Amino acid sequence: MSRALVYCGFQHATQLSLPAAGVKAAPVRVLGQGELSLLWSDVEWPFDPARMQRSAVEFHGVVHHVFNQAAVIPFRLLSVFEDEAALKAFAAEHRERFLEDLDRLKHFVQMEFVVYPAPGRAQPDSSSGKAYLEQKAGMTRAIEQHVGNVRDALGELSRQVVVREAKSGHRVFVLVERGKEEIFRETVKSVGVPETLSRRTSGPWPAAEFLSERVKMPQIAGAK
Amino acid sequence: MGRGRRTRLSLMPTDFESVELIGGGEEEVSLLDILDHVLNAGVVIHGSLVISLAGVDLVYVGLNVVLTSVETALRSLQVEEKRGPK
Repeated sequence: MSRALVYCGFQHATQLSLPAAGVKAAPVRVLGQGELSLLWSDVEWPFDPARMQRSAVEFHGVVHHVFNQAAVIPFRLLSVFEDEAALKAFAAEHRERFLEDLDRLKHFVQMEFVVYPAPGRAQPDSSSGKAYLEQKAGMTRAIEQHVGNVRDALGELSRQVVVREAKSGHRVFVLVERGKEEIFRETVKSVGVPETLSRRTSGPWPAAEFLSERVKMPQIAGAK
Repeated sequence: MGRGRRTRLSLMPTDFESVELIGGGEEEVSLLDILDHVLNAGVVIHGSLVISLAGVDLVYVGLNVVLTSVETALRSLQVEEKRGPK
C-alpha cells in the first residue's frame, strides 16, 4: 500500500534546485498549485519502524534542501495523504493561506535556544516542601532573567519571539532575517550563562513556530 | 550516558532535556534535534483522509520512547487500515 507523503510547501521559483530522492529513496515529486509548490513522494505505508530514524533524517534532508534556498512550510513526518488526488484537493483548498505565510516569512529563518538548570549543579533541596518550592521558584526566576538578558542583547535582530515554558526551563524561538544566523549565534554567545544554568542554541530551521494557526492546523474538508 | 540522566529523562520528559542528552556542544545539531523538528514542528494534518501522529510530543520523551511510541502508533494504524475507510 502506498501513500502520498508531503515534505514541505514553498513559493514556486524556477531557479530552485530540488532534491531527487526522499524517504526510502522514493522519487521526490512536485505538485504545483498556482504559485504554491508542494514536495511529496509516493511511499510504502505504513513505515517500517526499524528505519524510522533514517526516514526522519531523509525527510529532514528533503525539507532542508529547499529551505537552504528559500522559505518553506514544513509538514510533519508521518502526515500522509491517501493519494495524489487528496493532496491536490488539499493544496487547492489551502493555497492562499500557505502563500500568505510564505510571503510573510520569505526573508526569515527560525533560530532557537533553550535555557535549563545545569545538569548536576543543584541537587533538589528535599529538606522540606517549602525549601524545594523556593529552590524551584529561584531557578525559574534565574532562567527568566537569563532569557530576558539574551532577548535584550538580540534587540532588533529578533523580529518576533515565542517563549515556551517546559517543565524545568524555557525554549525560545526567534524569527531572524535570513543571512543573520551567525550574528544571532555570536550575540547569544556574548551573553554569559550563569553557573547554575545551561544553554543550547540551534538553527536555522524553517519558521514553523511562526506559522499562522490556520496553516499550522488546517481543517480538512470532511475530516473527522 | 549516566544512570542519573536516564532517570531524569524518564521522569521529566521535556524537549530540551532530550536534546541536551544527545548534543554535547551549544550549537550542535543532533539526531534528536532533527527528530524533534520533523515530528513536532510544521503543519499538522487532521482528518480521515490523513494519518497523522503529529501533535503528540513523542520525541520529547527520548529516542527509545519515540521508537516505541511510533511502533505502537503504527500498529494501531495497521489495524485501522485493515478495518478499511469509515
